[in-house]
Amino acid sequence: MSYYFTILSPTDTPVFNIAFGTSKSGGDGIARFRFPDTAQYMNQFIIHSSLDIVEEAQWTNGAMYLKHVDTYPPAAAYISAFLTPSGVRFLLLHQPPQLSNSGGSSGFGASSILGSSSNLARGSTSSIAANPTSPQTEEAVRQFMTEVYENYVKTAMSPFYKQGAEIRSPVFRARVTAAGKKWL
Amino acid sequence: MSSSKASRIGEETRIDKVNAELVTLTYGTIVAQLCQDYDSDYQEVNKQLDKMGYNIGMRLIEDFLAKSGVGRCANFRETADMIAKVGFKIFLNVAPTVTNWTSDNNQFSLIFDENPLADFVELPDDGRAQDELWFSNILCGVLRGALEMVQMQIEAHFVSDILRGDDTTEMRVSLVRYIEDEMPPEEE
Amino acid sequence: MAAPPRHSAMLSMNSAVATPQPMPGDMSQGPPQSLTPQPSQGLRVPSNRKTIYDRHLNRSRNAELSRASFAYLFAEMVTYAQRRVTGIQDLEKRLNEQGYPLGLRLLDLLFYRTTTTSSSALSSSSTSSSPPNRPLRILTLLHLIHGPLWRLLFGRSADALEHSVSPDTPNEYMITDNDPLVNAYISVPREMNQLNCAAFVAGIIEGVCDGCGFEAKVSAHNQPTEMWPSRTVFLLSFGESVMEREKVLERSGIK
Repeated sequence: MSYYFTILSPTDTPVFNIAFGTSKSGGDGIARFRFPDTAQYMNQFIIHSSLDIVEEAQWTNGAMYLKHVDTYPPAAAYISAFLTPSGVRFLLLHQPPQLSNSGGSSGFGASSILGSSSNLARGSTSSIAANPTSPQTEEAVRQFMTEVYENYVKTAMSPFYKQGAEIRSPVFRARVTAAGKKWL
Repeated sequence: MSSSKASRIGEETRIDKVNAELVTLTYGTIVAQLCQDYDSDYQEVNKQLDKMGYNIGMRLIEDFLAKSGVGRCANFRETADMIAKVGFKIFLNVAPTVTNWTSDNNQFSLIFDENPLADFVELPDDGRAQDELWFSNILCGVLRGALEMVQMQIEAHFVSDILRGDDTTEMRVSLVRYIEDEMPPEEE
Repeated sequence: MAAPPRHSAMLSMNSAVATPQPMPGDMSQGPPQSLTPQPSQGLRVPSNRKTIYDRHLNRSRNAELSRASFAYLFAEMVTYAQRRVTGIQDLEKRLNEQGYPLGLRLLDLLFYRTTTTSSSALSSSSTSSSPPNRPLRILTLLHLIHGPLWRLLFGRSADALEHSVSPDTPNEYMITDNDPLVNAYISVPREMNQLNCAAFVAGIIEGVCDGCGFEAKVSAHNQPTEMWPSRTVFLLSFGESVMEREKVLERSGIK
């Protein structure tokens, strides 16, 4: 599984981005997106196009962790969202490992990925590394988001941090990386 | 007065309390506002903080004397203990260590293991703040103002700060002179 | 002057106005590319490597400090602000703006604390162990301010919470503090008797409302009684979009 995590201010300014790969099921923690050349750009695009849905869910569900909110079939990308009470959005895009070419164009939709566990390199359908919508994954993402939230609050508590400003601290980045390793 | 007695006074003096975080956050707001108003001219921010502290110190000393009930100190060493163990204890709920005396007993350091003013704080990562800003500089002014009201002219400045990446937070305090009863101190 | 960012565009559920969506080939207003691979060198840290990220957020949770220290600092803050403004309205505006970012911070701190402790500071029932919900309705938000926020700041709940009785202003709510801490040590000169330094607290409230997605204007007003000479009423006026959304949520049965 490859992940792209971003923190967006209430006015949609990205304040933090990071890409990483799964560390579960023997993963090496390195992101391998399907379109490596345009991954950064595509990921941002997919995340931004999920904002409508996030904003709708925001007012029907008061939870901070909204779970998996959107799917983008062309890239087999899944979006999970976490909303801070101060209006900041944490969005995690996950993209399962690419299926063999035979799975090709017809098998790009979400359902076929869920249904074709035998094609996946490692792990079962419920594993965090393979299945973006299993209860195990939802729980792992929740843990990840909660850990990032704690570090975000620490950032935001500093009197010199203004909401919406880019988070540049290497310590923060290291903490997010560690949370990714631990839970995803 | 022995320093252990000073500790006891510091511990036992009863005062009205508020949530410590309210104080921390309010102070952080003040410093951040100054940095904004002075366009990150940190030298100027240090100066302004010192000035604010001076104003506070002049008013705070009365409060201090009334609450602690302590009298005149016999010498500067006793003053140092009083500042660290009673003054800081009452007003900031910390007791910095008094150390690094000069042989003439006119200069010492206060080492802060804890500093509630700086809780939650990370200095701006602009390549300058960690070299130029003394975040807690208001405390220097407070000492200066308070001691001036009891006839001591002192000079105080920070020499290190954990927020700057130093291993300790240390303030250096020097006695300039005892002020004879000449005229009331000037307000800044 | 760089005012804190405020959400101007409030989202109503049936509104077609959405956030800007970057289109392929139009990333000009999209996220800057430079964001990802260039972490800064970062700040120097002490040799024990302690940073804000190593400090537990609950560490000072129950810590107390001298009330006088707060009063001295707050008075200096007001005096300083006064030197840089012309007139009372300006001063109150400035105090409000200084409170606003604190509201956002306190909001995150409050929720963080309730996600990590068993006895919830946000909910009245200590049995609930699930994380707290973001307020979706005005009343929930007001209870959050009146209770948990006030307790975090002042160690007690506010004294009253009321809805405007005037049919012209259904968007107005009042939170009353009989004896605001911020006014306890401030003596306002007679020529400034309109001034209420609780404008700072009003700013905090405004930050909380805005952070939660309830655009509002909040102001502090002196309403002394014989018993409570510094009694202050905080007037919260919610924006049109908030009231619209409130109706939609009401119809969909969302609490």
